[in-house]
Amino acid sequence: MSSRTTSPTHAVPGLVELARGSWPESPADAEPPQLAGFVLSSFSPLVAEAARRCLTAAYGQPPADPARGARTAVIISSCSGDATTAAAVARAVAAGQRLGPLLFFQAVPNAVAGYVAARWELGGPVVSLSPDGGADPVPESLAEGLSAASLLIRDGDADEALVIVAEQATDDGGRDRALAVLVRSSDITE
Amino acid sequence: MTEARPAAATRRHDRPQVVLTGLSAVSAYGRGNQALLDGVLAGRPAFAPVTRFDVEDRRVRVGALLPGDPSLVDELLSVVDEACAQAGLSTADRAATRLLLAVHGDPDGSRPRAAGAATPRVPAMRRAPDDAAWQAPSGAGGFAAMVAAKAGLAMRPRTYTSACVAASTAVADAAAMITAGDAERLVVAAGYLVDPDQFALFDAGRALAADGAVRPFSAGRKGLLLGDGVAAVVLESDRAARARKAEVLAAVHGWGRAGDGYHVVQPRPDGAGLARAIGAALDRAGFAPAEIGYVNAHGSGSAASDAGEAAALHRALGGHAARVPISSTKSLHGQALEASPLLELVTTVLTMRAGLLPVNAGFLEPDPGCELRLITGEPLAARPAYALSLNAAFGGANTALVIGV
Repeated sequence: MSSRTTSPTHAVPGLVELARGSWPESPADAEPPQLAGFVLSSFSPLVAEAARRCLTAAYGQPPADPARGARTAVIISSCSGDATTAAAVARAVAAGQRLGPLLFFQAVPNAVAGYVAARWELGGPVVSLSPDGGADPVPESLAEGLSAASLLIRDGDADEALVIVAEQATDDGGRDRALAVLVRSSDITE
Repeated sequence: MTEARPAAATRRHDRPQVVLTGLSAVSAYGRGNQALLDGVLAGRPAFAPVTRFDVEDRRVRVGALLPGDPSLVDELLSVVDEACAQAGLSTADRAATRLLLAVHGDPDGSRPRAAGAATPRVPAMRRAPDDAAWQAPSGAGGFAAMVAAKAGLAMRPRTYTSACVAASTAVADAAAMITAGDAERLVVAAGYLVDPDQFALFDAGRALAADGAVRPFSAGRKGLLLGDGVAAVVLESDRAARARKAEVLAAVHGWGRAGDGYHVVQPRPDGAGLARAIGAALDRAGFAPAEIGYVNAHGSGSAASDAGEAAALHRALGGHAARVPISSTKSLHGQALEASPLLELVTTVLTMRAGLLPVNAGFLEPDPGCELRLITGEPLAARPAYALSLNAAFGGANTALVIGV
């Protein structure tokens, strides 16, 4: 379990944070590691790296504990979505250029959610959300993802949820940011 | 033939807790529920050569599209209005009702352009303004906020972008919110209008059926075809609907969502993830498999996806999987991506209430990997009390809804 306890999950009553990973974590984090099968855009690598850091804190290495992983949801919440892929596709189509088949797969956030779920053997629901971002989209997306996690857990389709926030920089001076938190119901005691 | 109705006393809940009091859809068959019902029951697929935008360079050039150049915002506002009017919601009711919206993550880009236009994209929200004070938002969340504001619904909608299960996930969440007491009433809406970007992506991914037909669960199936779909439903607690004396059109008895944990985009061949979603939905409803009298399948028409779904049905329903009438209405109205589950839900409710279950069009001959009782030829005269509506998506996302009329 992560030792990081400075968690905003108190914003959603009934959830307790088990682990967390973020991007960037230090100045050494220049670009997230490339992800095989995903091209052009930082979005999916950001999701995968934040998830890897969070789940490594929880489990060490993949897969997740089978009893828990089978009932862990994967929720991606992003105000920006994969703006780079969307723009690249729009530009290529407008210019009459051929699209590579890989763009087809990564054009929806579910694809990288599927990557994370397969790698860590997570069998809970897969959900992608896109809240309306304010001045700072990361807390906005996190709150939306945690709210969805709370609903899924209370409703019973999952016991835990991996909430992954990824926000691509919207201007030249900005930085891509991502955050993943693993949560469960605070009603459960070990 | 007519399926027997199970005795209500065998159900765990005497009354459903979540009911549907308004619904409206737009599809290639036209605008409004009657156009959809007539088109689906005529059994003629709505696929035709695409003329909305240039498809000259595409391998496949067919889809199920409304004529002309419809606006996603306008179509969404129109279905929300119709569903709310059917439910009998007042302006005050609407203002207190939250929107759950399923759309592509880049609905601006989903805005169709004129045929052949190689011009920069014009965001939909700048194309459909009748409110000069509105600031053009960005992204799906901003798009949803604009739709909610223009529709007179409550602030802070939730926006689902989970590909082909986005709308069914929204319905399941709405049912969960109502059951938990988080909300008394919600509007779930969803929209996708076939656009050049998604068309090019699906063509590049060789996902489109080169023979111009969608043939779910059939031998010789070649893939999917895209279709326009915009729909809205009003879901509320049974108590709230009765207090308003609203006519109950259908009920959401059960819902389930589960992941495959298997692959980036391929479904599990054994269907275990979808089977768990079905099991969760039946469990919530308190129903045995034999109580399901119709299945509107995900049935994309893709080789691997249909085989996995057939396996899931056998895994979840046992011997009943080979007996229950089943069709995928995507073979008629096409695949409307994020919005497809809601278009299919509306289709399921309308056809069940009409006592005619729609055909699984495009069927050529049985696939030994999909041993199911497909409705072929003409609609099946039946009045099942309960149906399953299934959906699956990239990322191994699966949903199941148990609908009663």
